This record gives sequence, structure tokens and C-alpha cells, in this order.
Amino acid sequence: MGGQARAIRAADPGARIVPLARRLHTRTRAAGGAGALALVVLDDVGKTYRGRGGAYEAVRGVSLDLAEGEFVCLLGTSGCGKTTVLNMVAGFEAPTAGRILLDGAPVRGPGAERGVVFQGHDSLYDWLTALDNIAFGLRLRGLPKRERRARAGHFLRLVGLDGQGAKHPAELSGGMKQRIQIARALAADPRILLMDEPFGALDAMTRATLQAELSRIWAETRKTVLFITHDIEEAVALSTRVAVMTRGPGGTLKALIPVDLPYPRDRTSDGFMAVFRQVHALIHAEIHPQ
Amino acid sequence: MRDRAITVLGYLAGFALLFAVWHVAATWLARSALFPPPWPVLDRAVVLVEDGILQEQVLASLRRIAQGFLLGSAVGIPIGLAIGSFRPVRALLEPWTEFFRFIPAVAMITVSVIWFGIGEESKVFLIAYTTVFVIIISTAAGVGAVARDKIRAAQCLGATRFQVFLLVALPATLPYILTGMRLAMANSFVTIVAAELVASNDGLGKMLWDARLFMQVEDIFVALVALGLLGFAADRLFRLLIRAFAGRFNPTM
Ligand SMILES: Nc1ncnc2c1ncn2[C@@H]1O[C@H](COP(=O)(O)OP(=O)(O)OP(=O)(O)O)[C@@H](O)[C@H]1O
Ligand SMILES: [Mg+2]
Repeated sequence: MGGQARAIRAADPGARIVPLARRLHTRTRAAGGAGALALVVLDDVGKTYRGRGGAYEAVRGVSLDLAEGEFVCLLGTSGCGKTTVLNMVAGFEAPTAGRILLDGAPVRGPGAERGVVFQGHDSLYDWLTALDNIAFGLRLRGLPKRERRARAGHFLRLVGLDGQGAKHPAELSGGMKQRIQIARALAADPRILLMDEPFGALDAMTRATLQAELSRIWAETRKTVLFITHDIEEAVALSTRVAVMTRGPGGTLKALIPVDLPYPRDRTSDGFMAVFRQVHALIHAEIHPQ
Repeated sequence: MRDRAITVLGYLAGFALLFAVWHVAATWLARSALFPPPWPVLDRAVVLVEDGILQEQVLASLRRIAQGFLLGSAVGIPIGLAIGSFRPVRALLEPWTEFFRFIPAVAMITVSVIWFGIGEESKVFLIAYTTVFVIIISTAAGVGAVARDKIRAAQCLGATRFQVFLLVALPATLPYILTGMRLAMANSFVTIVAAELVASNDGLGKMLWDARLFMQVEDIFVALVALGLLGFAADRLFRLLIRAFAGRFNPTM
């Protein structure tokens, strides 16, 4: 697969130089910024969908290292390929070019080291209570009932739903369902949390609350997070780095912006505004190309 | 609780209205010896119950339905799950289901009697036949309708393929299985009457046939009302089951 990608790049000199330069850039940033070995490495990753309507190159030449403990936001316009990237890291889909490494080993499929929070609520199990949803991953591992109830209860409290454990998903609001999803993913103790626009469908106030709670949970658990969003403010508020994507087809990384601001973040501070403006300019250029 | 009271009262009123309309129709609109009003039919039913005849016929029919229905379900659910889960199985078995689906059980009565004779086997076979395809189709559709994210969520919580099947696909499909069983139960009532009309020594269908031969019009109506009430009760039972397993979680059921 890698050989094929290299051959394609060699045929197009322009495409060869840009990703290479970008790769060097990410390498030095990840190594210098976090000072640790990368947990997840995306190496020149591409995805071309082949369907009845022909081939569609959704993602091209994405290179990104995620160090342990980082919170990286993948930011881009609708349809630029964010979900495609996440699906490949999760192992739901295989890249058609490049490779994805987890702890140095290529990703072959989904696994419990990578917890996923999905965009909609479809992924929750309607027939289980909130508590049993959270405990699902522990049940898969054969943990005894009492133990998994206790652990699930801990994560129920962590996401602020103490006392709501006996309800079924149909009895919960949209924001509560996303909390359950987060708790369910965390309870399985993954190395990295992959979140696909988890707050996209929520109203502004609920979203702000959940953003603050996610920041707190991240600080408490020190999980590595890859978070997808198309909301610039959300990206700057949450992440240690913002990865900005170009629009599709062939969406790729345009820039990696470090966000060196203290938590909890003050969205009206000058520092926040400065990063916001910088990211905004990058995204604006994608929405309105001259 | 209040909803349930309203439902029960509504049902009672609905049945009362049905019998009132019947009474009006039979006493004023279409007066005929061939269309008895409710009271003589009820009197006749009491006599038949006292003689133990009605229970006997009802039990004979219900026993056949239960046997055939359980057999059909036991065969249909696993096949439906397999068709929904594995593409090659679907390709292999879809011609079967799509072929036999269009040969109604009533059309199979002759074959069934030739094969199994006039005894219990032929009726149980027919009920199983009419049950199995409905259940296969709705079960397979249920498996196909399981949200992709539900399966993916289990996979990235570390589920094996078997765990995905047992803990995600199966419970998510249960409402569809029960809905298929409910439809199949309605079909079973149609089939048992047809089968007993043609080839049986007892049962409600046989009772209808004999009553026609001897022009016992009241007996015909007793059998008809018994069928209606039994079908109604069976259908309620499945609705309750579907509610219990799915209603709370799935508001559309
Ligand atoms: N299974 C697929 N087959 C064909 N094309 C696909 C498939 N999945 C995604 N695409 C295409 O790839 C592109 C990127 O899709 P993707 O879902 O990754 O976008 P996104 O950045 O997540 O957008 P949004 O913010 O709207 O969720 C889109 O043009 C989409 O039509
Ligand atoms: Mg998306």
C-alpha cells in the first residue's frame, strides 16, 4: 500500500514536496511539544472511496502525530474528510494510502484502546439503562456484575449524571445521551478517545456546559483525545493543538496551531482571541477561496 | 395507570357497540333465520359450553396453532438471523423465502393432506408453514436495521464477533422478531380455519363446516365469535410483549 502511494506521489512532483514538508513540521512539533513518543501516528494517510459513481478522494496526505495526553482538535468545513480520518484511526475503515500506527503497530481494525464517541445517539443501546450502557465494555470483559456496577457508577458521577443511572436512553435528553456516550467510552479505559462532533447537535448553552465538563474530565483522566469539530471557538477552547483541514475533495492538513493557553480558558481573553483570529483566517480562506 | 383504565374502558365500550350494531342489524335491518341476533347465539354458546363441546373445539384449534407456531418460530428465527447476518446465506435462501412466500398456506392444504393425512401433522405443518416465512422476513429485516454505530460502538469497546451478535444484534432485533410473530399469529388463525374446514375431525373450522351442513346457524356464529375473541386475545398478548421488550425504549413501536 505504501509503495503504491509513493509511486503516485513520484508521478506528481508538486504533491510530493508539500506533504513531505508538512511531515517534517509535524514530527518536530510533536517531538518538541510533548517530549514523548507519539501514541498515534498518521503517516501520509489517504482515503479514496470507490463506488458506482466512480472514485472520490476524500482525504489525501494527512500526517499527524498524537502524543500521549494531548487534546487535538481536527477542524474543517463540512465534507472535508474529518469523519473519514477518525473512522480510519478507529479502525472502522482502512486507509487506501499511507499508514496509521498505534504504539508503533499498524491499526488493523477497531479495538478497546481506542474509545469512540459518535456524532449521533444511534450508538447507545436502547434496551439497557444508562448505567448498563456505561458498563457495557466492562461486561464484554467478563467483570462481575457488582464490580462493573461500581465502576460504571463512578463514571456516571464523573459526567454529572448521578442518580440518572436507571433511565433508558429514550428517557434522556440529547446532552445527557452524549454524556453517557463519553462515560461509556471512558469506563473501558481506552488509551485514546476519538470524538466525532460530539456536541454538534446540542444547543449553545448545553454545548458550553459539556465543553467545560469535557475539559475537566480530560484534566482528571489525562486521556489523549482526538476531537472533531467545525466550531472554531470549540476547538480553541478545548485543545492543546488545532489541526486545520483544507476542504474536500482530497482534504488534507493545512496547518497545526498550538494553543498555549491555561485551562479553564477565558474565551474573552486577548490570548484566546488571537488564536481564534489565526484559526478563523485559515478556515475563512477555505470557505471563500479567492 | 390512567391510560390503562381508559384503554380497558374503551375496549369494553367498543365490544358493547359491536354487539349493539349486530343486534340492531339482525333484529331490524336484515331479519332472517340465517342471521341470528346476539342473544340466541349467546344462549347456544352457554349450552355448548355446558356440554363441553365448545371448549373441546377451541382447545383442538389452539393446540394446533401453538404447536405449529412454536415450530415455525423455532425454525424461522435462526434462519432470519442468519439471512440478516451473512450475505452468502441471504443469497442462498432468499429465492426460497421469496418463492414460498407467494404460495399461501391455504394452497398447501391439499399437498399437506396428501403427505400427512387428516390427522394433527397436516394442520401443524400448515401453521408452521404460514408462520415461518413471515418470521424469517421480519427477523432478517430487523438484523439489517441495526444501526451501524451500535455495532461499531461494541467493536471499539472490545467486543468479539459473537458478542456483537449476542449482545447487540439480537436484542436490537427482538422487537422485529416479536412483530413478525404477531403477524404470523394472525396468519395462523386464517390458516387453521381453512385447514379444519377441509380436513379435520374437530376444531373451530370443523365446527363451522358441520354447522353449515346441519343448518345450525347459531353454531356458526358461536364459532365466529370464538375465533374473533381468541384472535383478539392472542394479538393483545403479543402487543403487550412487544411493549415490554421494545415499547419503553422505542417510542415508534
Ligand atoms: N462511504 C463513503 N463512500 C463514498 N464517499 C464517502 C463515504 N464516506 C464519506 N464520503 C465522502 O467523503 C467526503 C468526506 O466525508 P466526511 O464524512 O469525512 O466529511 P466530514 O468532514 O466529516 O463532514 P461533516 O462535518 O459534514 O461531518 C464527503 O464528500 C463524503 O461525501
Ligand atoms: Mg463528519
